[in-house]
Amino acid sequence: MADADHFDKLKQSIIDQDEDQVLAAVNAALDDGVEAKAIIDQGLLPGLNVIGEQFECEDIFLPELMQAALAFQAAMVILEPKIKEQGAAGEKKGKIVLGTVKGDLHSIGKNILKLLYETSGFEVWDLGIDVDLFQFVDKAKEVDADIIAMSALLTTTLIGQRDVIEALKDQGQRDNFKVIIGGGATTKEWADTIGADGWAASAYEAVTLSAKLVS
Amino acid sequence: MRFVELLTEAEVRRTHEASLEVLETVGVLAHFAPAREVFKKHGCTVDDETGLVRFPAEVVEKYRRMAPPSFTFRGRDPQYDRTIPDDGPIVVTGSSAPNVVDPVTGVERRATSTDIANIAHLINELPGFDVFSISTLADDAPEGQFSLSRFYPALKNCLKPVRSNTPNMDDLRQVIELGELIAGGKEAYAARPCINHHYCPMVSPLTMDVDSTEAVMWLTERGLPVYTTVVPNAGLTSPMTLMGTLVVGNAEFLAITVFQQMVKEGTPVIYASLPTVADMRTGAYAPGAIETGILLAAQAQLAHFYGVPSGGYIGLTNSHSNDAQSGFETGMNTVLGVSAGATLLNMGGLFSSLMAFDFAKAVVDNEIALMDKRAYRGLEFSEENLALDEIAAVGPGGSYMSRKHTKSRMKTTAVLPKLAARDMRQQWEDAGRPTINDRALAEARRILSQPNEAVWDAELDAKIREHFAGLVAGDATPLEG
Repeated sequence: MADADHFDKLKQSIIDQDEDQVLAAVNAALDDGVEAKAIIDQGLLPGLNVIGEQFECEDIFLPELMQAALAFQAAMVILEPKIKEQGAAGEKKGKIVLGTVKGDLHSIGKNILKLLYETSGFEVWDLGIDVDLFQFVDKAKEVDADIIAMSALLTTTLIGQRDVIEALKDQGQRDNFKVIIGGGATTKEWADTIGADGWAASAYEAVTLSAKLVS
Repeated sequence: MRFVELLTEAEVRRTHEASLEVLETVGVLAHFAPAREVFKKHGCTVDDETGLVRFPAEVVEKYRRMAPPSFTFRGRDPQYDRTIPDDGPIVVTGSSAPNVVDPVTGVERRATSTDIANIAHLINELPGFDVFSISTLADDAPEGQFSLSRFYPALKNCLKPVRSNTPNMDDLRQVIELGELIAGGKEAYAARPCINHHYCPMVSPLTMDVDSTEAVMWLTERGLPVYTTVVPNAGLTSPMTLMGTLVVGNAEFLAITVFQQMVKEGTPVIYASLPTVADMRTGAYAPGAIETGILLAAQAQLAHFYGVPSGGYIGLTNSHSNDAQSGFETGMNTVLGVSAGATLLNMGGLFSSLMAFDFAKAVVDNEIALMDKRAYRGLEFSEENLALDEIAAVGPGGSYMSRKHTKSRMKTTAVLPKLAARDMRQQWEDAGRPTINDRALAEARRILSQPNEAVWDAELDAKIREHFAGLVAGDATPLEG
């Protein structure tokens, strides 16, 4: 099969949100000697782009977007070691420190965001839920993050987002990181009030916002 | 009156059994170690490494039966105490929104303790509301007084039962101290606690958190009034079927109920929930969706099976203004709830999926609440109400308008709405085509321009302000000027 046919198959299997089909297409391409990086850049990512467009115009729904992203992640499990072998480590778009703030155990939205970040080429440190403000700050410093992304679902835990920004200011670190917030309890206006660099209404928008902030 | 039943008796039983199966085989993740100890001590299987608790069916059956059939909300003035199900349906405001729609500018902004004082005054005066669940946060709260800045203005300006939550134990203890000062001492407070606590310790699916679980345990140990709400969200935190969501929510209700009974036998509970179906196009939260009403109606049936009062957050709206969506979401869902026998409706005053309080919305919801309460009364079947003598006395072709029988019942048989238009179109045109929002806001302004008789005396206020240095003013103010 010509490379171009492999790329078509890879792309279509992502669009079909079919993990088995994606893995079969990846293996077939590898068997034919197609390079891992080309499989991603010319096959899988163009598929994800179509998925993104379909999601934006509501041709597909969130569960379908997630399935495509999960299929992509499964393919990356095979492809990433090969890319490392070839020394052609993919350029990451940016480093994200992610978590749900102190007192809040809601993780589902945050986990969707993590998945979308990873499939969009970001490197993510997920601190999980109930994250203390210093964990955010310390991890961001440790990994030299580009963005700190904080979620809050409960209105009573919102203040945790402000606390992190205040702590960054106190430490003279505010300008070293972009800070974005999201989650059911947040609004654009709250983001402005606490001096965050951005707010997103959904996980999908958060990725677009982050790409803008690091570019 | 017979309530709407969405499930057959056999289906209710099967739903219960399915929930037992979930609790026994899937289990509940309990993050608060002392809660795991309680479960362990009372016959559950606990894996301390993972935090997973499994519930043998007989353990659940034993403890859930200890839950009493009623729950009482107490206000500063006992005449406003409400016990469900007997006094139901009781109507509670929606709570803990970070924002308020400014009643003067119409622009959404962060809410303050002054807003809470005004809302407390308003809710105290609106007859449809029974319990004031503190509608917003207070952005002006001084350091260390996050909850105090909510409870103080709420309690000061409202004689009806006040309900809310606290984010941590320091805040909870502080709020209880406030209650004890109001009651005139620890013992007096223990005898008549005027603060009604509410938490969501169950994080769907099947997880118990740390902070709220700790608060529920602490309050339950002390016999102080506390109840919880379960919040399954189909497609995100529960299966994408209403039945699967019912099962997850029911298992969560059983887990927290059993927990409270293990902590203290006979603790009153409410089968309270906020069940939703996530909007799968975007994942958006949709508490105004009709599925919330369907699920809450089914939960009312399950609550009846368990012999406990039921209700929850119903009649919330995703809408951002007093438009048709706001009305149909609040109206349709609450009607489903009361027709199924739910006796607690957490419905008043919030826009944008619990994000912002609106004064006019609260007044509209007051009217919807009065209609819901009327719907719950139903037809009031009785021999007397068949009015056969009256039908005979008036006879064919007569009129009932000038009859004593009519006069003596004209204010009680039907709801007399204050906001809903009943005039002719020309009258409405002449009045400047007022919208429902115009009328409601005018009523809110009218109420808030009156002196608030609910405020406690200066001596008590001085005592409280001396005890908590730097406390917010907590006074209601007229909406204009």
